[in-house]
Amino acid sequence: MDIIVCIKRVPETAEADLVIDGTKKAIETDDLVYSINEWDNYAVEAAIQLKEAEGGTITVISVGPEENNEVLRRALAMGADEAIRLTDPAFEGSDAYAMAKVLAAAIKDMPHDLILTGVQADDDGFGATGVALAQMLGLPYAALVTDIKKEGDTLTVHRELEGGLEEVDTLKLPALLTIQTGINEPRYVSIMGIRRVAKKEIAAKGAADLGLSENDVGLNGSMSQIEELFFPPVGEGAEIIEGTMDEKAETLVKILKERGGIA
Amino acid sequence: METMEQSLPERLDLYTCIQCGKCTGGCPVSIKSPLNIRRVVRESAVREDLHVFFSRLEIWDCTTCSTCAIRCPRGLRPVDAIIGLREMMVEEGRIEKTIIDALDGAYKYGNPWGRAKNKRAEWAQDLEIANALEMDPGQILYFVCCAASYDPRVQSVAKSLATVLRAGGVNFGILGNKEVCCGSEIRRMGEVGLFEMLMEENMKNFTKVNPQTIVTTSPHCMNALKNEYEGLGAEVLHYSQFVWRLIEEEKLSFSTEVPMKVTYHDPCYLGKQNGVFDEPRNVLKSIPGIEFTEFGRCRENSLCCEGGGGRMWMEGTNVGKRLSEIRVEDALEMGVEAIVTACPFCLLTLEDAVKTTGNEEKIKVIDLMELASMGLGVRPEVEGRR
Ligand SMILES: Cc1cc2nc3c(=O)[nH]c(=O)nc-3n(C[C@H](O)[C@H](O)[C@H](O)COP(=O)(O)OP(=O)(O)OC[C@H]3O[C@@H](n4cnc5c(N)ncnc54)[C@H](O)[C@@H]3O)c2cc1C
Ligand code: SF4
Ligand code: SF4
Repeated sequence: MDIIVCIKRVPETAEADLVIDGTKKAIETDDLVYSINEWDNYAVEAAIQLKEAEGGTITVISVGPEENNEVLRRALAMGADEAIRLTDPAFEGSDAYAMAKVLAAAIKDMPHDLILTGVQADDDGFGATGVALAQMLGLPYAALVTDIKKEGDTLTVHRELEGGLEEVDTLKLPALLTIQTGINEPRYVSIMGIRRVAKKEIAAKGAADLGLSENDVGLNGSMSQIEELFFPPVGEGAEIIEGTMDEKAETLVKILKERGGIA
Repeated sequence: METMEQSLPERLDLYTCIQCGKCTGGCPVSIKSPLNIRRVVRESAVREDLHVFFSRLEIWDCTTCSTCAIRCPRGLRPVDAIIGLREMMVEEGRIEKTIIDALDGAYKYGNPWGRAKNKRAEWAQDLEIANALEMDPGQILYFVCCAASYDPRVQSVAKSLATVLRAGGVNFGILGNKEVCCGSEIRRMGEVGLFEMLMEENMKNFTKVNPQTIVTTSPHCMNALKNEYEGLGAEVLHYSQFVWRLIEEEKLSFSTEVPMKVTYHDPCYLGKQNGVFDEPRNVLKSIPGIEFTEFGRCRENSLCCEGGGGRMWMEGTNVGKRLSEIRVEDALEMGVEAIVTACPFCLLTLEDAVKTTGNEEKIKVIDLMELASMGLGVRPEVEGRR
């Protein structure tokens, strides 16, 4: 089985103090740490587990600058066989729709039985690239997948739905799945493992190689674009309690008592 | 194994083990864990396929205290068999989530808690400590440690040490946000490549600073820098050694009476592994008012607190009473008011044990530098206490 996994390199923002940059359309990224998008890490692990059971090949694809080789190498060290990077200044500003066009242009000529993407990316959070890609390639798909079983050319997958419901679907291969976090336990990738694949060639392809024009991709080829980024305005009614830890605790208990929160 | 030229038993000379059992007899976790280090040594030597160990959670019970290595009459290092097995598990990516998180944190942020890099020096914000990278060569570099940088409880140790160094007239600097994890625990969790990466990053800055002496908060950092970093010219000292030197050279003395009955808990990485037993005791005894009693199990026979070897991030099988709880109960029986120690992990695990045994009103856990700072008339501010 030939599996293709789309992986994105994203900044980690959980602990960072985010600053909106001068353009007001992006955040300052100098101090941010980048890594593989969390969902995509689970998708790579899912691909490896399928390969371990069924045999076949895994190719990982990432759209972005040379730094994206980092996440591609990591996936190679984890167990992928080949890596491809799609890169072109024209791709800049692509939304999920335009990004899916870039990926589709690359994937359509590659052998594929199964395509895996993450459910969403940690930075833009579109949650749309995977399903748009399936549509463009004319493949059946299932989103938010939490379990995969394969029998012959049929996949039985579990999907996590709103309200905690779970749906079980069957799909005929070739197909596309968007993978939810928690589907498996991604294995650790050691530094030595990454060093061992450090010299492996990673092919780079641009818009022309993919037969894409400037109007297909980037802002021109997108259905949405960022107008402005801003922090939510500070609302009324919040009270910041000051003082030492003990004073804070005392004040908090007093407030909770006054307002009937505790007896 | 494809990665190493020699097999694990060859590399560690495990075939020469005489199965005397001195290692098991000294292993502090053997009373409560299925871990039997003598058996691990024998099995590693005779098993064809070491994958059998992969499902044995007790491999993660070892605290790397190294008692086994000190006791072995053949001069073997049984603990290194454990670390070797962990290395194999890491190489194949088959390790627990909490360990993956710690390793990822160290890789991305330079600390196993995954805290932001640019917050590493926040503890020193108001202390006007020099940037070591701007100092002349030949000075004192204070290597802070991840725990002392980020953990609010241990930050008080770093602040106290700064107070003590200043009182001793020492010009010192820190690497600030450029410091990364020393890698000691990372190596013991089996991630050698990442240890090397962190070592290279620190070495780059050590070379730039070119200090005469590096003083560390943690015995774990001290051990790594002194015994495992390659090509480091500077002298590496744990703070207890450096502060005792200041006292001996009459550059530092304590004038404020600290009336307190205390005992001292030997950190494994300071005592057992580096033979530093007297300096911390000497510092302790030079603070006026201190009444000192030894633990029954002290110095080479000290009981491990279970905080080392990755145990801060991994529980292992963790059955039975925690050794740190036994330590606290022993101290209570001795009638002391405080357990003094000199390692961030000991401080945290012992303090946890005071809480879990419900003895917060009866006994305290204090770092040696906090006590020294009190001897200088400066009360350490400990977040969450008083
Ligand atoms: C390398 C090695 C590994 C071994 N491994 C094992 C093993 O795993 N399991 C096992 O069952 N056997 C093992 N043995 C065998 C076992 O240790 C010996 O059979 C046993 O120790 C023999 O007694 P000893 O004379 O050596 O005793 P010693 O080691 O001399 O002494 C044992 C005890 O005898 C008493 N004693 C000795 N002299 C005096 C004295 N003058 N006054 C008062 N009390 C005294 C003390 O209580 C002392 O602790 C091993 C032996 C060796 C050498
Ligand atoms: S290092 Fe300590 S805990 Fe680990 S096996 Fe040796 S004695 Fe036991
Ligand atoms: S102490 Fe040394 S010789 Fe004795 S059983 Fe342990 S490893 Fe073998």
